Amino acid sequence: MAATGMKQFGTWQPATRGKVLYNWPRGACEEELRFTDSEQLGGEPYDVAIVGAGVVGCGLAYRLSMYDLRVLLVDRLHDVGEGTSKANSAIIHTGYDAEPGTLESELLREASAFWPDLSDKLKIPFDPIGAVTMAVTDEQERQLEVAEKKAHANRTDGVHILSADEIREREPNASFQVRSGLLVPDEALGDPFTTSIAYAEVALANGVDILLGCTIAGVELGRGLEMSLHHLVTEEGHRLTARRIVNAAGLGSRRLSDRYGGGEFDINPRRGQFVLFDKCARPLVRHILLPVPTAHTKGVLVTPTIYGNLLAGPTAEDLPLGSPEATHTTVDGIRKIMNGSSRLVDGLSQQPVIATYAGARCACSQGSYWIRYNDGAPGIVTVTGVRSTGLTTSNSLARHLVDGMQEELGLELSPDTVALDARPESAWPGWWRRPFEDGRPNARADHGCAVCFCEVISEGEIRDALNSPLKPRTIDGLKRRTRSMMGRCQGFDCQVPLAEIVSSHTGILLEQLTKNGPGSELVAPGQAPRREEVLV
Amino acid sequence: MSAERHFRVAVIGAGPAGIGVAVGMANRGIGPVVLIERRPELGGTPMGYRKKPNGVPTFVEWTRGRMVFGEELAGRMVKRLAQTDTAIRLSTQVTKIYPAEKRLTLLGPEGVCDVTADAVVLAAGAREQTPAEKGWLAGARTSRVSFTRHVTGWLDRHGLLPARKPVVVGSDLIAYSAAAKLQAAGSDEPVMIDRRRSPAAGLFERLFFRRWTRPDWSGGVTFAEINGDRAATGVQSSDGQEWLGDGVMVCGELVPNTELALLGGLAVELPSRQLQLVRGQELSQPGWFATGNVLGGFHGAQWCYFNGRRVARAVARFL
Repeated sequence: MAATGMKQFGTWQPATRGKVLYNWPRGACEEELRFTDSEQLGGEPYDVAIVGAGVVGCGLAYRLSMYDLRVLLVDRLHDVGEGTSKANSAIIHTGYDAEPGTLESELLREASAFWPDLSDKLKIPFDPIGAVTMAVTDEQERQLEVAEKKAHANRTDGVHILSADEIREREPNASFQVRSGLLVPDEALGDPFTTSIAYAEVALANGVDILLGCTIAGVELGRGLEMSLHHLVTEEGHRLTARRIVNAAGLGSRRLSDRYGGGEFDINPRRGQFVLFDKCARPLVRHILLPVPTAHTKGVLVTPTIYGNLLAGPTAEDLPLGSPEATHTTVDGIRKIMNGSSRLVDGLSQQPVIATYAGARCACSQGSYWIRYNDGAPGIVTVTGVRSTGLTTSNSLARHLVDGMQEELGLELSPDTVALDARPESAWPGWWRRPFEDGRPNARADHGCAVCFCEVISEGEIRDALNSPLKPRTIDGLKRRTRSMMGRCQGFDCQVPLAEIVSSHTGILLEQLTKNGPGSELVAPGQAPRREEVLV
Repeated sequence: MSAERHFRVAVIGAGPAGIGVAVGMANRGIGPVVLIERRPELGGTPMGYRKKPNGVPTFVEWTRGRMVFGEELAGRMVKRLAQTDTAIRLSTQVTKIYPAEKRLTLLGPEGVCDVTADAVVLAAGAREQTPAEKGWLAGARTSRVSFTRHVTGWLDRHGLLPARKPVVVGSDLIAYSAAAKLQAAGSDEPVMIDRRRSPAAGLFERLFFRRWTRPDWSGGVTFAEINGDRAATGVQSSDGQEWLGDGVMVCGELVPNTELALLGGLAVELPSRQLQLVRGQELSQPGWFATGNVLGGFHGAQWCYFNGRRVARAVARFL
């Protein structure tokens, strides 16, 4: 009975009321997923078009999908959550150190309380392990007391100072230099990839249309009789009509804002580099370990990941907008992280590193959470400068934005009675609830055939991900859903077999498969395979 | 799921070394032996180097004093294995080991099961170092940053060229073989860069590959970064030198696949991931042995096969 009624995780395939389309001129996705004409999205104008399918845009789409509205979510990349949302420390913050009274602090408190529930509803892996800020000098010990007061002002639960002995009891590998620490019990580990994906999947099921790989080159504002109808114009000249536009384009929000004459703000990418340690390092640390922030930087933290690794970082390097190096790592940056992290944890420098990566936070000089309604023209909302707390606040920010749109834009909300607000048990990612755990029999043999050996991800899980609602068609999209290629070998063993599975499952030719969209083909582009040499 | 099974010897990995052990056990009449391979075919890494007209033979067959294709060499070993009555489990991965009980948890097409053995041999091979593991190579995480394993996968299995203008990072025999394979398949002459002042591959090896490739060598690179947005466009050194290309091949410098041992609690040195050996090729727990490239360093297929046969002798003595 257990065997037949068993949930196969990662296999949720709901009937979707919305459409997912890829703007992908040649190859790389099937005909029925290809966006060629705005007619495919129906003639009716959208009530809301969200530009930017990061965690903010996806969270908003999820929220709006609960109401009887026609919503479009559009992004220039070929998957949701692929920009800033994919490369961060994945910590779900309590906001204990936010400036009390600010919108960020409000949203963090609201979101933090709601996360356990959100994780349960949307099946987003979540682990509240707590955080300890560790002081190593007298000066820092004094700062901890200030931080404790701030946490109380922010009404963060359970925050208190630990003595050196208490820290050593909780963290046996803490550096001997640590004198005292501040415990924040509700800080948690999240899964940045699944968060955006889960929001978008439910939104899609509820009827939100999702258009990926589509750069918005211009905005034609409504005029005359059609005052309230704006048009987003894509690079290819397709016009997408909407009554309201939300600019949640992250680092692209500045450029988009210029198209509709939005208010003045300056953003730039703040690069954060990270070092990822192998799973054998995980037992060294039990909490998220933070240094005492200085005036310049929050410093290098050491945190477990929800995937079972250990992560150290980030750096904070301000780069000019449009810098091609915003997501590059540097040898210097990595060295700084290694030095900083070994100041917190003994023995970390002896642990094997498996990968390094960098993410670009959207830093706004006018302050974080810069939100403007009717910005430049009626019906346009700009939300930018959501720096490093966006993953945590994605849900409360969406609530805040919907309230604001109701008030400022006159958005009328009537609940959609058949809308989903949750994903079922079978939507848990397979790597989190293993298909083969407890030695249960496999429903399908391909769930027992590992393709990615480091993370033990099977061929069946890859196929399930390909069939999942958003129909991911890039190798990176599959990585974020299944964790294949994310392990210590970084795709050494599994890249080619993975590509073979995608190709055989979807009919996309191997030479057209990409890592993350056109231009990122896995092999030298433009070659016809010499089929006589195919030896499979 | 299925009932636990007991074997005299369990061998993890069916590359040349693992096959060597199985053949060695059969020669001594010791059985039953189970050979567990996570990939769908026998023969390990050399099997991926297919024999093709105009291809590059990259494996030394010392016993016959010639260079052959990996497939030929591994094929002969697999043939020899077929004459034994070794139990073979393909597409089956060992997910956990219990050193004290000599028990292994397997995941395969039939599900999850445990097997026990009187002796276990780790012949899990090695993989190539990732850019992050090198420590001196940073930069963009783009498409077309490939390992030699990908070069053979794309070229030999599918006839697809991973890069037309490759930048090869690394300079050992593996790097040269990758450069030769790429150029023989129609790429431009590869650029080869490394931290070392002179190539890691020996003079004879370099001379052998001259028939196919004479890579444009730049040694003594201190730090380098991979450039590119969606796909790699080259490598830039810290002193401003830049090598342009349309793909970066990260080759050689093997890392032993010792994670099973490490996570199972056998003694492994960090961060090198080297197994700690006690008496010959026995591991920190009695009854556990290691052979082939999992020992660390870089050994040819035939060396691994004979090393497997040698370890079989030690296993027999232990039993």
